[in-house]
Amino acid sequence: MKPDKAENHTLAGGISRRDVLGGAAGAVLALATASRAHAAGEEFRFGLTPVFRSDDLVLLDELRTFLEASLQQPVSLITRRTYQEITSLLVSGQCHAAWICGYPFVQHRQQLALVAVPVWQGQPLYRSYLIAAEHRQGNSIDDLRGDIHAFSDPNSNSGYLVTRTLLARRHIRPEDFFRKSFFTYGHRNVIRSVAVGLANSGSVDGYVWEVVAQQEPELTAKTRVISKSELMGFPPIACATKLRDSAMILKFKKALIHAHSNPQAQKLLSTLRLDGLTSSPASLFDSIAAEVEIVRGLG
Amino acid sequence: MRQGPASLKKGLPITVKVPAFVALLVMLVSVIISQRVLSRLEVTQERQLTTLATTYLDGLVNTLIPAVQREDIWEVFEAVDRAHKLYVAIRPLETVVTAANGSIIASSDPGKMAPLAKPPSEFLDKFADTQLVIDNRNSIAYLRKDIRRQSRLLGAVYSTFDISYLIRERREVLSTLVVTNTLLALLFAALGYWAIRRMVQPIRTLAEHLRSGISDSATKIPAEEFPGSGNELISLYEGYNALVDAENERKELAGTLHEEERMAGLGRLASGMAHEINNPLGGMFNALDTLERYADNASARNTSISLLKRGLSNIRDVVRSTLLTYRTDDDPKPLTRGDLEDLRILVKPELRRRQLQLDWKNDLNGELPVQRSEVRQIALNLLLNACTASPPGTWISFSASHSGQALHIEIIDCGPGMPDDAMRYLTTTDSINAPMRVSAGLGLWMVRRLLNNLSGTITVKNLDPRGARVRVSIRPQPESLQHVA
Repeated sequence: MKPDKAENHTLAGGISRRDVLGGAAGAVLALATASRAHAAGEEFRFGLTPVFRSDDLVLLDELRTFLEASLQQPVSLITRRTYQEITSLLVSGQCHAAWICGYPFVQHRQQLALVAVPVWQGQPLYRSYLIAAEHRQGNSIDDLRGDIHAFSDPNSNSGYLVTRTLLARRHIRPEDFFRKSFFTYGHRNVIRSVAVGLANSGSVDGYVWEVVAQQEPELTAKTRVISKSELMGFPPIACATKLRDSAMILKFKKALIHAHSNPQAQKLLSTLRLDGLTSSPASLFDSIAAEVEIVRGLG
Repeated sequence: MRQGPASLKKGLPITVKVPAFVALLVMLVSVIISQRVLSRLEVTQERQLTTLATTYLDGLVNTLIPAVQREDIWEVFEAVDRAHKLYVAIRPLETVVTAANGSIIASSDPGKMAPLAKPPSEFLDKFADTQLVIDNRNSIAYLRKDIRRQSRLLGAVYSTFDISYLIRERREVLSTLVVTNTLLALLFAALGYWAIRRMVQPIRTLAEHLRSGISDSATKIPAEEFPGSGNELISLYEGYNALVDAENERKELAGTLHEEERMAGLGRLASGMAHEINNPLGGMFNALDTLERYADNASARNTSISLLKRGLSNIRDVVRSTLLTYRTDDDPKPLTRGDLEDLRILVKPELRRRQLQLDWKNDLNGELPVQRSEVRQIALNLLLNACTASPPGTWISFSASHSGQALHIEIIDCGPGMPDDAMRYLTTTDSINAPMRVSAGLGLWMVRRLLNNLSGTITVKNLDPRGARVRVSIRPQPESLQHVA
């Protein structure tokens, strides 16, 4: 899937997801403060899925500091073990915004609205990787039959849905194709599972694999990418539809889109190896929606 | 230094024996203590290891119960991996979690123990029921624990632990014990050697003085060599010095007595010489009167002159024999037959005084390479002794012979026989240093001393019914032969 024109909003230079998060948080804070949409002193709650490094407390501290400085109001970072939990919090309004995955966004398209989409390697797109142990041969999912397979999360596009769709196209369910599959609830955990031999293969976020390859090359060196999916919409920052036009969300969105110009956000973006964040239409995730349909078709 | 039989048998000195024994004792005690320490250490280590390993597994099992119930591979792996990093102190090597059916859910090393597989039987066989199994040879401990919930068996955890640090600790303790105890043993040995050497030093000093006293003249132990105050050996030292004083006094007395005896002998000799000279003197004065009165009578003159010649000749013989016998000759000459013949003249006055007959036999021909002065003094002393021992009206016998270059002298008297102590004194080589009874006679002392100088031998036998026979044999000494040559 090609990125839409929204990517033109992305500024040149490296913008990391952390910057995006920071920018987003700052924007949310600014919006909240300016609009008084929420009671004064109310904290801005930003949900984080374990897409990437949600267990890095230092990174979370930096993100919160940046967001509080940007929004000029208290910020609470909400982390949960699964995508499902964060999505539920977002849909139910217990989070003002959250960095979720394209799959839950598609699943809850009516309740959720896009705030911004991170830009990686110049576009708000990424791929899903099928990986296996470094010594494994093959270049197709067909070569992974009978494996113990590690998924990331049942609500992850790259860490589950893509592989599930590949199998659906073959009219087969994962439990029939793999000898055993399990969820690690973290893309890095998938890489680690395959690297140590806990799983024979795994489905992982291509963006995460590439970043880990830069930061922990000894870990990814024990894995081999068997195949890569088509480009799909990068996991977005979303909010509840009802808040989409609120001053707080608009401010938050503006802060995220311009996060690349904030020094604190630049540091976060650099850590996350992101170029920045951009405003994208929901159609960016049509390909994921199509995959969902394919899977549903299999029953 | 002379070594007697006792010194030959004693082997190592006491200054070495005692420290060696102390060192041996310390080593023996250290071996026993080391064994006990290591045994206790091993028990303590095993108890601590059991406690730690059990705590580790109890904690792990509690964490694992929900994940094992779901057979969640990742959660089980993550819990095990986290526990390995958390419990570094107990050094878990490998942890395997199995489901109720025995298949592996996850292990700390999935590459070796992959999920869904069955653990190898050789791995499972090393575990006992809930008991810690220690394999000292491979430095590994094994412990398993069942995972249960509401009495239902969900699975089991098998853990191995690296106990090489415990083995190493035991080795280090053993090394420390060995090194420390060896150093202590050496230290005690050195201290023992120093202490014993210090303690026996006074005895060594005393022994040295005793040895030098036997081989030479005894000397007193100087005051500075006395042991410190309070030492029990002080009285021994004082006793030894008193003994040396007594011996020196005895020697001095013996010397005085010897001098007196010599003077007495000289007196007797002078008396004899005077008598021998006086006898012809009367005739010689008569001859001189005759010559004065009858100078014109040729017969009387000749007879007087002849008488004067004989008289002067007798006087010359007596004087010459005396000179030869008592001369201290620094240039010894070989013995001749005539040297012994002179003795007949010297002993004649004593024979006459004691009214004794002399049976004289002298078989010597030519020269014998023995020192004549000493031989003559030996023979004269023995002859005078025989004269003294023999009652008046009896006889004494003298014979001299030689075999090869060895001289043999035999003297027999008619006395009551030589007393045992005198006989023992005369025939014992080291009698010269032994206390001597005055009754033994200084003549015998002189004979013994001269015989020692000449390395001569002497035998004494009391005859039946009376009398004593003394035989002396003297072989030429190297220096004598040299002088003769």
